Amino acid sequence: MTLRSIIWYELRSRPWAVLSNSLAILLGVAALVAIRHITVYSEQEISQQLSHLGANILVLPPEATLQDYYAADKNGGTIPEEHVSEIYLAGLTGVEQVSPRLNVPANLGGLDVTLTGILPQSELEAQTAWQTTTLFTTPKAHEGCTKAKLGTADLESPDSLVTHRAIQNLKANELVLGADIAERSAFSAGDTVELMGQSFTILGVLPTTGTVDDSRAFAHLHTVQDASGSGPVCNAIEVIGCCEDAAGDLVPQLRKLLPNSKVVTISQVVQTQVGVNRLMANTSWFVLVVLVVVGGTSLAGAIAANVRERRREIGTLMALGATPQFVQRLFLGKALILGLSAGTLGCIVGLTTAVLAGPAWAGVTVSALPVTSLLAVVMATSLAILSAWWPARQAAALDPCLCFQEV
Amino acid sequence: MIKLENVTKHYSRRGETITALRCEQLTILTGEYVAIIGPSGSGKTTLLSLLGGMLSPTTGKVWLGETSVYDLPTSARSEHRSQQLGFVFQTFNLVPYLTALQNVQIPLCLLGQAAADQERRASEMLSRFGLADRLHHRPSEMSVGQQQRVALARTLVNDPKIILADEPTGNLDPESREVVLDAFDAAHQEGRTIIMVTHDPVAANRATRSLTLRAGELTEADTDLQADQSPQRLSA
Repeated sequence: MTLRSIIWYELRSRPWAVLSNSLAILLGVAALVAIRHITVYSEQEISQQLSHLGANILVLPPEATLQDYYAADKNGGTIPEEHVSEIYLAGLTGVEQVSPRLNVPANLGGLDVTLTGILPQSELEAQTAWQTTTLFTTPKAHEGCTKAKLGTADLESPDSLVTHRAIQNLKANELVLGADIAERSAFSAGDTVELMGQSFTILGVLPTTGTVDDSRAFAHLHTVQDASGSGPVCNAIEVIGCCEDAAGDLVPQLRKLLPNSKVVTISQVVQTQVGVNRLMANTSWFVLVVLVVVGGTSLAGAIAANVRERRREIGTLMALGATPQFVQRLFLGKALILGLSAGTLGCIVGLTTAVLAGPAWAGVTVSALPVTSLLAVVMATSLAILSAWWPARQAAALDPCLCFQEV
Repeated sequence: MIKLENVTKHYSRRGETITALRCEQLTILTGEYVAIIGPSGSGKTTLLSLLGGMLSPTTGKVWLGETSVYDLPTSARSEHRSQQLGFVFQTFNLVPYLTALQNVQIPLCLLGQAAADQERRASEMLSRFGLADRLHHRPSEMSVGQQQRVALARTLVNDPKIILADEPTGNLDPESREVVLDAFDAAHQEGRTIIMVTHDPVAANRATRSLTLRAGELTEADTDLQADQSPQRLSA
């Protein structure tokens, strides 16, 4: 017989009371875990979708409009390429990908095309790595957005220019053709072509997108800059921001960072998607408050009632030699077991709900987030112990003479 | 030896002070078997609580040997109860969700004994009281007499030097009462000190010394009361 076994036998003797005492915590944890899981995976899904759609924030010359950009970027205005470094150096929360673009008119085998200069990710990463050793601070991001971040393998193929608006490697003399140009010019991958007085090897042909990209040719930014004599500038910088931040603080921060440029966002798309996530995030805070208030008071009340019911038993234990600390541990131990079991069970219920309801409610596939689940269990256990603290102290302060009285 | 020196216990209720116990001097020698008799509300339970180290006196000192009990800190008093005292309660006070064996193990658990030793010792003690076949029964599954025997086993399992009993035969039939009183006799023969609060004249007559409590005043039992209670003569 130990303190633990006394707690265990008491719990086992009243299973329904145990269930009702911990029900509020169980349900609170279940709701919290379910909402949190769906929110995180929803953010991740939105982030992935946005990365497929392209940039959700554009940094443009001050005189340009969003319409100009999508009309083929021939507005003529430019911004310094060094804005790319400035964005990275600022370490803004939610910046996932930065891609400068310079559009110049060109002629390819008798066809008028738009030649777009882009900077491959390998060079941006090298730039970031260099900056990390000096000033660069790693940007923070939401859990869902971080999980959605692209890997190197995702950007290896030229097709990634369509799917992810970026490419990992692009040499100075390599060219990627839009579907429409390739069809009209009859060039294909591996061919060598002359463009703006320079010789290029065609790295690949993009699939049809139905956008202006179909009539563009893509080359290395610095090659395009040299060929056009524009200097180190670009027409636009595409920024893929985490959906939450793109709709929130990121745009004002970029405007503050680059006061001589125009920062615009595809706000409607982002706002709608983020609105859902914000609602879920706010709901999860609400559930957390409900869990703490209702779960905590419910368990505190249950433990206090348990102390009242067991006054004779406590008096007897004290008469037999139990110290006040032993009595206090008797109730705190009970609260710990209740909190731990309610938290664990609530976590399982919440996770199951999220897995089953995620596809229906938010169109996302959900799997377990170990840290979130663990935090929920730890929180439930801590809440239970805190709730039981005062009743347990009262139990320890009871008069042992109660053992002689009819209670 | 137990000694009370100038002990008083007052309770305050709605601004009124009630004297529950007043005792200038009481000495109970080691090995004595003392019955404390008196009407309800006379302070018997207060006296038992004071002797058990569970109720601080308003004035005076309670000595157990050379130790002034209430000069000890709370945890040391708990330890003192655990090592020196055994309690028998009128309503047995068994823990309802524990079996007979587990109930008897409690004092040993509080002494920090190993689980195997606890089980062996508790099992032996229950067998001594004829409950070998009731080890795993809960109090609700046992008769009143069996419950009191479990309570007795729990009292004696930690080998206490002093037994404090609160109306130990109050709820028992004559047969069960004999079992309890025989157990007290045996404990007395073993040299333990027994202090028993009782209304029961039969139980009081088994003691070697009787004390009377009237309105909180403790005196040696007067012969009239003893004569009223029993044909046997009490040794005062």
